[in-house]
Amino acid sequence: MTLSLAPPRPLSRLRHPSVLAAGAALVTVGLGAALVVAAGTDPATAWAALEEGMFGSPYSVGTSLNSAAVLALIATGFSVAHRAGLVNVGGEGQLCAGGLAAAATGLALPPQVPTALGVPLTLVAGFLAGGLWAWLAAVLRTRRGTSEVITTLLLNFVGVGAVSVAVHEEGLLRQPVTSSETLPQSEALPAGAHLPLIAGAESPATVIVAVAAVAVVVTAVVLRFTGTGLRLTAVGHSPSASARLGLPVARLQEGGLGVAGGLAGLAGACLVATAPYVLAEHFSSGYGFTGLVVGLLARGSLIAVAAVSLLLGFLTSGGINLQLAAGVPASSVQIVQSVLVLLIAATMLWSNRRTGAAT
Amino acid sequence: MSAVLDELAAGGVRLAVPLLLASAGELLSERAGVLNLSVEGMMLTGAFAGAAGALASGSAAVGVLTALAAGLTVALLQAVLSVTLRADQIVTGITINALALGGTTYGARLLFGDGAADSVPGFDPMPVPVLHDLPVLGPALFEQSALGYLACAVTGALAVGLARRTPWGLAIDAVGEDATTADRCGLPVRAVRYAVVLLTGAVSALAGAQLALSEVHAFSDNITAGIGYLAVVAVIAGRWRAWPTVLACLFFGVVQALQFAAPALGLHVSAPLLTTLPYLFALLAVSGLVGRSRAPAALTVPFVRGT
Repeated sequence: MTLSLAPPRPLSRLRHPSVLAAGAALVTVGLGAALVVAAGTDPATAWAALEEGMFGSPYSVGTSLNSAAVLALIATGFSVAHRAGLVNVGGEGQLCAGGLAAAATGLALPPQVPTALGVPLTLVAGFLAGGLWAWLAAVLRTRRGTSEVITTLLLNFVGVGAVSVAVHEEGLLRQPVTSSETLPQSEALPAGAHLPLIAGAESPATVIVAVAAVAVVVTAVVLRFTGTGLRLTAVGHSPSASARLGLPVARLQEGGLGVAGGLAGLAGACLVATAPYVLAEHFSSGYGFTGLVVGLLARGSLIAVAAVSLLLGFLTSGGINLQLAAGVPASSVQIVQSVLVLLIAATMLWSNRRTGAAT
Repeated sequence: MSAVLDELAAGGVRLAVPLLLASAGELLSERAGVLNLSVEGMMLTGAFAGAAGALASGSAAVGVLTALAAGLTVALLQAVLSVTLRADQIVTGITINALALGGTTYGARLLFGDGAADSVPGFDPMPVPVLHDLPVLGPALFEQSALGYLACAVTGALAVGLARRTPWGLAIDAVGEDATTADRCGLPVRAVRYAVVLLTGAVSALAGAQLALSEVHAFSDNITAGIGYLAVVAVIAGRWRAWPTVLACLFFGVVQALQFAAPALGLHVSAPLLTTLPYLFALLAVSGLVGRSRAPAALTVPFVRGT
C-alpha cells in the first residue's frame, strides 16, 4: 500500500479508465475480426450472428442474463472475502459443492413438493455447502496460517472430483444404469425444485437473475453503509490493528470467506435447478474461474461486478451463436475474451494510482 | 501379477516424466515469488507447436525447437504481465491458460484440418542395453525416447544446479522471500524473476512436446488436460522443496496409472476418486498436517522499488 502525493502527470488523461477501456475494446474487436477472417467467414455475417446470439431474441437475452447472474454471484462473494483481506480462488470448487448439495437435496424431496418449498430448500442447501467448503479453507488460514489462495485453489479440484465421483457411482447420485448408453449424471430434479422463469415462456431467464441482482445490491449496501462492512474493511486493511481494537479477526475472516463460498454455492445450486435440471460432470463449465476473474477485475466495486458479468455473459452466449450460425470456431470467442481480460489486467497499473497489489 | 506391476511402474513413470519437468520449472518460479499458474498453457502451447513444427518439417527435432520457441513466447507474456506490469498473477495465469486452450484449438482447426494431427513424426523408444532388462524398473525407466531421457536430464540439472545452496539458488530464494532486501543487496530482482519464468516456459514446452511427440505422436485438443495444474499442485504438495516435489510427481504418476491397472488387479476403484487423490494429498501436505509447510513469503507479491 503506497500513498501517492505527487500531482497527476500530464499523461494521466490518457490513462483515464474509460480511455483504456475504449483502447482495449478496439484491440479486441480488431483481433476478433482477424480471427473471423482467418477462419474464412465474412465479418458482416459473423457480426450479425454475434448480435443475434446476444440480443436477437428473448431466448438469447435470457441465456445471457442467466450466465451473467452466475458470474455476478461468484464475483460478489469474491468481493466480500476480498474486503476482509482474503483472496477466494475457490469459486469453482464451492460452486461444485453447492451444486452437489442442491442435487442431493432436490432428489431427496418428494416428487409432489410445491415450488414455494422445493426451490428455497435446494438453494439454501447449495449456499450452506458452498459456505462450508470455503469455511474449511478459512479455518486453515485462521488457525494454521495456511494461505487461502493455495487451499481454495486445491479445493477447486477436490470439488470438481467430488461431483465426478457422485455422478459416476450408482450408490451416490448416478441415475439408474439401464444400458451402456446411460450418461453419468443424476436423475432430473422434481418439478418443485425447478427455478421459476421470470420473463415468460420464451425466455429462459430464471429467478437467478433477481437473486443475483439482490445479492449485488445488498452486498454493496452492507459493505458500504453498515458496521459489519466497516469491520470487514478494517480486518482487510490490517488484521493486527483490528485485533488490538478488539475486533474478532478470525471470526470476521471466516465469515467473509464463508459468505463468498456460500454465494458461489448458491450459483451452483441455481445451475442444477435450471434446465436440464440434472447434476452432471462439468456442469460448472468453468464459471467458477470466470467469476473469479470478474471479481479480481472489479476490484471491490459492486457496480463493476455487475458490468463485467453482463459483458462476459452476453459475449459468451453471442459466441455460442457465432459458432452455430456463422461456423466460426467457438475457440475464437475464448481467445477474444482472454485477450480482453489480459488487457484489462495489464493496464490496471496505469488506471489506478494505488499500485501496491492487495493480494 | 508381475505384468501388472510392470504396467503400473511404466505407466506411472510415463505420466511422471512430463510432470517432473514442468514442476522443476514451476518450483523455481514459485521460489522466486511468481505463482506461475500458466504452466498448463505453456505445456499445451508447447505440445501444439511441437506437433505443428514436426508435421511441417517432417523432423521431430525441429518440433522440439518450435515447441521451445512457443513456450518461451507464452512465458515472456506471463513475465511481462506479472513482473513488469505487476498484473495479478492469478488472473493472468488462469487467463493465459484459457488463451492457450482457445489459441491451440483454433490453430488446430486451421492447421490440422479436422482438428487433430495424427501420425506426427515423433521420438521412438530407445531401450538402454542391459539396464532395460531389470525387473519392474527396467521397462519403466530405461525404455524411454530420446526426448524422455533429455527431460530427465534437464530435470536433474535444474534440481542440482539451482538447489538451495548454490549461489543462483540462493539468489532465487532471496528474491522470493524478501524482494526488497534482495534488491538492497544488489540482486537484480526483476531479471531473476524474468529468468525463472522464461526457464519455466522452456521446460514446460519440452514437457508438452514430450506428451505430443514421445508418447502419442499426435496432437488433440486440450492434450494436457490439467497436467500443468498438477505440476503446480506437486510443488505445493512437495512444500516448495525439491525431493518431496519429485516424490509427489512420482506418486501422482502411479495414482493415475492405477486407474488403468486396477481392473487387472481385480480392484474396484472409482476413477474420478483416483484423479482427485493428488489434490487431497496436496491439501493435507499444505495444511501442515504432515510436517511443516511454508510458502515463499513473496509468492504472488509483485516487486516495486521503494516500498
